[in-house]
Amino acid sequence: MTTAIRPLPRSARRSNWMVITKQELVDLWLSSKGLSVLFGFTSLLAILAYLASADAGINLLDARESVGVVVQTAIGLGTLSALVVSADAISGERERGTLEALLVTPVARLDIVAGKLLAATTMWLAALLVALPFVAVMADGPGVAFDAVAVLVVAGTLVAAALTALGLAVSSLAMSNRVSLAASIALLLLLATPSQLPAVKANGALGPLLIQANPVSAGLQLATNVLVKQEAWADQWAYLISPIVAAVGLTAIAIALSSRLELGGSR
Amino acid sequence: MCRTSGMTNTVMRDNFAAVDSRLIVPILETTGLKVTYGSFTAADDISISVGEGEIYGLLGPNGAGKTSIIRALTTIIPIASGSATIAGHPLTDAAAVRASIGVLPESNGYPSAQTGRSYLRFYGQLFGLSREAADLRAERLLHQLGLGKNHSRISTFSRGMRQRLGLARALINDPAVLFLDEPTLGLDPAGKEDIMAHLTKTAVESGTSVILCSHLLDEVERVCDRIAIMDRGRIVAEGTVEEVVATSGAAGTARVRIAPEDIGRADAALRSSFPDATIGFDNTRPGELDVPLTTGKGARSELLRCLLAAGVDVLALDLRGVRLSDAFLGLTDATAPQRVRKESS
Repeated sequence: MTTAIRPLPRSARRSNWMVITKQELVDLWLSSKGLSVLFGFTSLLAILAYLASADAGINLLDARESVGVVVQTAIGLGTLSALVVSADAISGERERGTLEALLVTPVARLDIVAGKLLAATTMWLAALLVALPFVAVMADGPGVAFDAVAVLVVAGTLVAAALTALGLAVSSLAMSNRVSLAASIALLLLLATPSQLPAVKANGALGPLLIQANPVSAGLQLATNVLVKQEAWADQWAYLISPIVAAVGLTAIAIALSSRLELGGSR
Repeated sequence: MCRTSGMTNTVMRDNFAAVDSRLIVPILETTGLKVTYGSFTAADDISISVGEGEIYGLLGPNGAGKTSIIRALTTIIPIASGSATIAGHPLTDAAAVRASIGVLPESNGYPSAQTGRSYLRFYGQLFGLSREAADLRAERLLHQLGLGKNHSRISTFSRGMRQRLGLARALINDPAVLFLDEPTLGLDPAGKEDIMAHLTKTAVESGTSVILCSHLLDEVERVCDRIAIMDRGRIVAEGTVEEVVATSGAAGTARVRIAPEDIGRADAALRSSFPDATIGFDNTRPGELDVPLTTGKGARSELLRCLLAAGVDVLALDLRGVRLSDAFLGLTDATAPQRVRKESS
C-alpha cells in the first residue's frame, strides 16, 4: 500500500521571522505588558530627573553628576525593562500553553527566537526614546548633551542587547515565567557582586577590571567617567569591550539554543 | 461507520461512500514507533495506519501514552525508534510534516489580547499564506465555526468559543491530518456536540484525516471510523468500534421479548444452552427477559438459534450494555483488579 503524498506548499518554506516579529510587537505594545513596563520606567525616570534637577538648586549634586545619575538610571532601568520582556518571551508562552501551537507550525525555531528577540529589543528602543529628552534637556545646562546622548545610545544599546539576549536564552530553557525572570536577574546579580564588594572597589587594579568585566557595571561606569569625570572617550574603550562581547556572545547563545527549543518536560 | 453531526443524513451517506473509497490510501503510517522520556518508555511498538478522511480514535487511561504519541507524530518530541510518515513525509522532515498537519493540543492557550481573526491570520501567515489569503481563510473558518460575527478579543470568549477557535487554527493550513487531543474537555454537552459535528464535517468534506484523542467514549463511539485502545504505552486493541467491542470479551445483556406463554420453554432452553448465565425476568413486563452474553457477532445468533430451536417465537431482541466503555474497561489496566477477583472467585 502506498502512502498518499501531499506536496509541501512552496510558500511554507519561506522565512517567517518577520511575521513573528510583527505579531510579537502587536502583543507587546497593544496589550498592557509593554505599555505598563514603559509607564513604570517613565515614572521612575521622571521622578529621578525632577529630584536631580531640584537638587542642583541646593548644590548637593553637581549638574554633571545629576546628568550622570539620570543616564545611569535610564540605562539600568531601560535595559532591565528589556530583560523583563525577553525573559517572558518563550517561558511565558510555555506557561500560557501557546507554545505548542507555535512549535507545530513549519516555522524554523531560529525564526521564532529571532522574531522574539527583535520584538523584545523594542522595549529598550522605547525606553531610549523616553529617556532621550530627559537627558538632552538636563545635559544641556552643563554642556554635555552630546556625550550624555552618546553614552545613553551606545552603552545603553549594547547593554540592552546583551540583557535581552540573556533573558531570551534563559527563557528558552525555563519552564515558567517566574523561573526565567528570577534566573535572569540572579545571573545579573552574580555578575555584579564582585564589583560591589568594598574591598574590591578600593583596590586600584582589580576593581576597575571587575567593573569592566561586567557589561552592566561597565556601561554605568562609562557614564560616570565620561559625564562626571569628563574623561576622554578615547580612554574609555575598555569599558565597551564587555558590553560588546556580551551582546554578541549572548545573542549567539540565544540563537544556538533555538535549535533546542522544546515544549518542555511535561508529558 | 456511525457518525453523527449537524449535517443531513443524506449528505453524510453520500460522503461516507467517498470516504470508504479513500480509505485505501493511508495518509498516516507508523511502524514500531517508540517514545521515551529518559529511561521511561511512554509508548512502544505503535504501528497504525490511518486513511484519508478517516476519523481515528486514540483511547486509553491517563498515562497510557496517547499524548506522547500525538506529540511524537506532530514532531514536538523525538521518537526513540520506529518510523512514521504523514502525508508522505517522514517525521525526520519536520518542516514538511508540520506543514501537513493541524494540531489542537489538550491544554491549548490563547493570546487573550488578540481577536479571533488576528489570531487566525497570524497562523495562516506562518503556514505561508499572504496576509490577504490568511484573512480570507480566517474569515471563512470563523464563519464555518460560528464565530464569524464576533470581533471581540479572545479574552471575552467562552471556553466553547475558544475550543472552536482552536479548531479553526488547526484547520488554517487545510491539513492532511488533524490531531485533536481532548478537544471537548470541559465543554458543556452542546459545546461537545458542536465540536464533534465540525470535525466530522471537516473529515467528510475535505478529506482531512482526524486523530482524535479523548476520554469521552460516547463521542468516540459515535464519530470514529476506527479506534485504537492504548494501555501502558501499547496498543491493546484496534479496529472499528464493533470489532474492538467484539474482541474485548466484555459482557453484555440481550433483552428478549417473547410471548408470555413461552416463558417456561424459553427458560428451559436458555438454561441448557447458557448454564452459567443468570437469566433475569422482568415482572413488570411479562414476556421480557434479560440474558447475559459475551460480545461477538455469534452471541446474538446463538441466542436466537437456541430460542427458535425450542419453538419460542422471538418478538424482539436487543443487545444492551455492550458499549465501547465496557470494552475499554475490559482491555485496559483499569479493570485488572476486577479480572483478578473474577479469576479468584
